[in-house]
Amino acid sequence: SITGACQAIQKLTRVRVVDNSALGNTPYHRPPKCIHVYNKTGVGKVGDKILLAIKGEKKKALIVGHKMPGPPMTPRFDSNNVVLIEDNGNPIGTRIKTPIPYILRRREGEFSKVLAIARNFV
Amino acid sequence: MPGRGGTRCRSAAEGMWRAVSAGCRLLRLVSAAGAAALRPEPPPRVFGAPRGACAAARGAGGGGVGALGEAEQRQAADTILPKFNIDFVVALLRQENAKDICVIQLPPEIKYCNYFIIVNGSSTRHLHAMAHYMLKMYKHHKEESDPHTHIEGKETDDWLCIDFGSIVMHFMLPETREVYELEKLWTLGSYDDQLAQITPQSLPEDFIFGLTPNSSDHLGMRT
Repeated sequence: SITGACQAIQKLTRVRVVDNSALGNTPYHRPPKCIHVYNKTGVGKVGDKILLAIKGEKKKALIVGHKMPGPPMTPRFDSNNVVLIEDNGNPIGTRIKTPIPYILRRREGEFSKVLAIARNFV
Repeated sequence: MPGRGGTRCRSAAEGMWRAVSAGCRLLRLVSAAGAAALRPEPPPRVFGAPRGACAAARGAGGGGVGALGEAEQRQAADTILPKFNIDFVVALLRQENAKDICVIQLPPEIKYCNYFIIVNGSSTRHLHAMAHYMLKMYKHHKEESDPHTHIEGKETDDWLCIDFGSIVMHFMLPETREVYELEKLWTLGSYDDQLAQITPQSLPEDFIFGLTPNSSDHLGMRT
């Protein structure tokens, strides 16, 4: 059964990988699912790191947009978007076509690399 | 902006890329022509300590400072620190033996930053040393109102970056640079070839947005 969107991104949410990495774009019979959120609360918002299970392997990823409405004057996306990154923070894909929220720049954390490979900002 | 390696693609990509990689040559030409929004006089290329450059620049740009003697100028320069702008940054990078300095000026429509710098390094230690040196100079020369910055990518061994608000710097190894090709993305914009190679996702024919809870979230399912 498929439930509607509740909180932003937590364990077992299906996510959409938006960069052009091979791991994110090759079709697989199961969608990529979040299995852990690196946060004090188990809920991930924009800019949080999560662990993803893709094609039978575990990969870290960065949340760049979710369906849940956030603070006012921030963008809300129609899908839970995620960018794959390595353990040391380097993004695996080389380009991101979907718009990336601009608030990532103000947040504490390593987001300049993801912003550098993004095409347009929102 | 006209004539710079901005995001307007006026000539062939390779030619512009070469021009952009020349970096400071364009800056010097433009500032000599007085067309850009930089200082009207070209900053003298003194590769001593930055204080030396500052003293000469103050002397040249001051205009009516001819009355001051040499020693007094240098003394005054010690208390006045040079502003942390793009010319200063490029001079520091040359001092650090950075290879392939690529300075891209972004138009104000892209509200990301004013200048985007990509630098090659010869090894991991070189990258770390350059990044820490740039941060040290920034902390030394910044005014009180500028925010603090931190180095991102300290755990990696091939890509570090620092975000100075209006300037963003990326220190990469040559192999990493080949993989990501950031210059192509930021200068060519929509015409980038890696972007074109991303196969466009198309919606299925029976897609209706958000009609029932069962029909939404089609993008999450890959079958």
